[in-house]
Amino acid sequence: MKFALVRIFAIIAVCVAVTAGCMRWEYGDIEQITAAPEGLFVLNEGNFQYGNATLSYYDPATDEVENEVFVRANGFKLGDVAQSMTMHGGLGWVVVNNSHVIFAIDPDTFVEVGRITDLTSPRCIHFLSDTKAYVTQIWDNRIFIVDPSRYEITGYIEIPGMERGDGSTEMMVQIGDYVYVNCYSYWNLLLKIDSRTDEVTDIIEVGIQPRTMTADCMGRLWILCDGGYAGSPYAYEEPRLLCVDPTTMTVLKQFDYPLGTKATTVVTNGAGDRLYWICDDVWSMPVTADELPSEPLIPAIGTIYYGLTVDPSSGDIYVADAIDYQQQGVVYRFSPDGELRGRFYVGITPRAFCWKTE
Amino acid sequence: MKGIFVLIMVSVALSAMSQEQLRGLTVTSRAPLRETALGRTLIDSAALAESPALSLADVLAYNTSVFVKSYGRATLSTVSFRGTSPSHTRVSWNGLDISSPMLGSTDFSTIPSYLVDRASMLHGSSSLTESAGGLGGAVRLSTAPRRESGWHAQYVQGIGSFSTFDEYLRIAWGNDRWQTSTRLVYSSSPNDFKYRNHDKKENIYDDDHNIVGSYYPEERNRSGAFKDFHALQQVYYDTRGHGRLGLNLWYTSSDRELPLLTTDYSDDTAFENRQRNQTLRSTLGWERTGLHTKWSATAGYIHTWTAYDYRRDPGNGALATLTRSRSSINTLMAKGSFDWFPTDRLMVTAGVTAYHNAVESHDGDITSADGSVTRIGYDRKRADISMMTSLRWRPVQRVGMQAVLRGDIDGDRHTPLIPALMADAVIWPEVNLTVKGSLSRNYRVPSLNDLYYMPGGNPDLRDERGWTYDLGLSAEWTRDGIVRLAASAGWFDSRIDDWILWLPTVKGFFSPRNIRRVHAYGVETEATAAVSLGRGFTVDGTANWSWTPSINEGEPVSAADQSVGKQLPYVPRRSASATVRVNYRRWSLLYKWCYYSERFTMSSNSPSLTGRLPKYYMSNVSVERTFDVGRAKLSCKFAVNNLFDEEYLSVLARPMPGINFELFLGVSI
Repeated sequence: MKFALVRIFAIIAVCVAVTAGCMRWEYGDIEQITAAPEGLFVLNEGNFQYGNATLSYYDPATDEVENEVFVRANGFKLGDVAQSMTMHGGLGWVVVNNSHVIFAIDPDTFVEVGRITDLTSPRCIHFLSDTKAYVTQIWDNRIFIVDPSRYEITGYIEIPGMERGDGSTEMMVQIGDYVYVNCYSYWNLLLKIDSRTDEVTDIIEVGIQPRTMTADCMGRLWILCDGGYAGSPYAYEEPRLLCVDPTTMTVLKQFDYPLGTKATTVVTNGAGDRLYWICDDVWSMPVTADELPSEPLIPAIGTIYYGLTVDPSSGDIYVADAIDYQQQGVVYRFSPDGELRGRFYVGITPRAFCWKTE
Repeated sequence: MKGIFVLIMVSVALSAMSQEQLRGLTVTSRAPLRETALGRTLIDSAALAESPALSLADVLAYNTSVFVKSYGRATLSTVSFRGTSPSHTRVSWNGLDISSPMLGSTDFSTIPSYLVDRASMLHGSSSLTESAGGLGGAVRLSTAPRRESGWHAQYVQGIGSFSTFDEYLRIAWGNDRWQTSTRLVYSSSPNDFKYRNHDKKENIYDDDHNIVGSYYPEERNRSGAFKDFHALQQVYYDTRGHGRLGLNLWYTSSDRELPLLTTDYSDDTAFENRQRNQTLRSTLGWERTGLHTKWSATAGYIHTWTAYDYRRDPGNGALATLTRSRSSINTLMAKGSFDWFPTDRLMVTAGVTAYHNAVESHDGDITSADGSVTRIGYDRKRADISMMTSLRWRPVQRVGMQAVLRGDIDGDRHTPLIPALMADAVIWPEVNLTVKGSLSRNYRVPSLNDLYYMPGGNPDLRDERGWTYDLGLSAEWTRDGIVRLAASAGWFDSRIDDWILWLPTVKGFFSPRNIRRVHAYGVETEATAAVSLGRGFTVDGTANWSWTPSINEGEPVSAADQSVGKQLPYVPRRSASATVRVNYRRWSLLYKWCYYSERFTMSSNSPSLTGRLPKYYMSNVSVERTFDVGRAKLSCKFAVNNLFDEEYLSVLARPMPGINFELFLGVSI
């Protein structure tokens, strides 16, 4: 009996000893990473509610990419749903939507230098000066005014006609003293805000769900509306590309795509004289064109083009493909005339880009 | 490897211990005809009755080889078999399918183990004896009468870390015809456990707002409070000659906050993120057993109301509603089956089950572009009919076989006939060494959310479908009621086509698609041992180990796709669990342990920092002492969870508690 007892407790002791504390946190170490002076930040959204957004940095000169640079440089995660990034004041400002935070990082080392919190659901940040910036939100009818030098919220701009729970403001483009904002999620509006008074001075309806927006060299706005989705209680229509006169807030040109086309991003090249956008494929035309091109510049071949940018200096086109949204996405690099130059893997669901220039 | 080592140690040691007592062994056992060739794991009733603080997810994690994916304490916990997904696990309660027709899966954290009298798992093909759609398997739960005369009452009070209170009350009465039982369970906690947040750093600033230092903050689980109430009423009546009637009513009221992610920088006082659920499950069953027949009929009804609210303080001190979701599910069920035993070696079963599901799911109102107000969501009804016939035949004592044929109609979807073949043969009667195998086809119809959820539902989804086979050995030794040893090991292999995955879209919402062909295969093993050493000393233990590669063998979605040939995300390749219970007179010591290997979070199995979750081991221990005071039996139990204060994650960005304690005081008469 005694022998059996000893054996039993020996077994338990072995179990206890062998299984004691074995999980090891593997991302606490900090790396010193030095970024090339010019390059491309790629924001990888990650999966909603999984906190696995990451930041990649690509050097076009060497064709080398560094992934997960934020977590490697800081020893903690970027957060949940990296939304957008803007360079200002020698810093990179990374908006992390579902972490409700904006990180300011040193773009040479990727090390955090500050953060803005207490945001509802931030989408984009636009700088008016070193001490004033706007932050758009979803699920909120306000654009937040922040002081980036102190990382503080200093005020709000209420959007007329929006309720707190259904508000949506997205990208911002500044022309003169006015900031133009597209309202995307279940909205069809373009706002005009006087940055001197922080008041909405004009609102027009554009297409259903204006998703992205840019300005061309002629001071006009180009807006890509995705048209909603089949069965949407809000509306469903053909995606459209619009050219808007920001002074008069009138639509100058309208190009429609077939119903169901996946319209996501519109950008210009560095000079602002050529337009690029994603409607299933990647399309391009001069900003002066009055008709859509008959053929896309870069056809989709089993790819899901999700993000788009153009190198302001070389004119190379970068297109992000999320593949299955559960693995490292890929960024394709094309020449200005659409010839594939290469590709590199980044993080989950690459979407937004940000150029770092000297 | 440590997991394997531990299991081998336990198994070998227990085996060695018992072998010296196995001389003169004279035992064989014979499975009932109904269980012919079934691949089934019974959950020990002692494990179910261990503590009122445990959910069925906790019990399965430590007593079986299934993978329990937990989003946190008192938060969504799903169960998956053999490398499949949670929606491939069917769950029934007293014959009523309680998998959500809306979601297609079951939250096991909302099922208190104290309300379950019998639990078993049907692996792979065997699940087809219960229902179709269990591509991984099925979990079968049921309640039962006490079958004792007179009054019985039991009360257990638990007081634990994080201001956790668990209360359990059972009052039962019975005689030779009537049995009634009322059970109440109430669990509540602010659930604000502390943990070291490795996903964030707190900065230290100087006067000019420069960061001069940083550290991983010790945070509390924010927005994790829960209040769960369950009431279970059972009434059984034996008509003496016209069969037995059983009524079961199970009401649940759950009010749970949804914890913040570890990567969330929100101020937890400025928002509310809450899910409320009220569910009534009811069954009325009748069964009558004749000399060669058994008839049974069950009617069931489930009502589930779920509310999700996300509200934030916009800065004026009042919470404004950002998300307001409401769903309501009404399910009616009718089931009848007939068993015929023409001989004592043959059993024929025919059954039909009908469900009618009505789902209303809404995420609030929206003003459409034309100015009208429209609700976001869907209202759908679906009638499902399932017919089943089976033949169980044991031509000779040592050989048994079972054939099952199912036909399912789900709304306007007619799945092809679903066949299953199972067989077993005893090849060494002295130790009941049995070889067992099965082969089956199976289909899973998309859930109503898969088809109709707004936005994203995809009415064009195809049924998931698969072939599975398994082959295994089991053996059992017992001696004089002193020693019992059992072990089983089996190989399984499943190929599932048109695997449904919810993936983001370029429109910003998720949508399900038939995207994968998955090859899930591997090994499941189990060993149990129980020894009575005399003088009130008993030892029993269970150990499980699984190896479950679950490989994406679909076509690459593009030339850049790196997921083909890789393990599915969040499915561990290896998992194991073990429990050892030592009873000495009125003392009882229980040690529980589980292990999950590294899990990838990306379909490409990228070994990046955010692409995987490290393996972890978890250990719980408890000590219990019982006392007799007059007619009353008192118990005092002290439990330690996460014994080694592991910092671990089951899912990315979901905090888990460190070491915590709970004291249980019980009285029963």
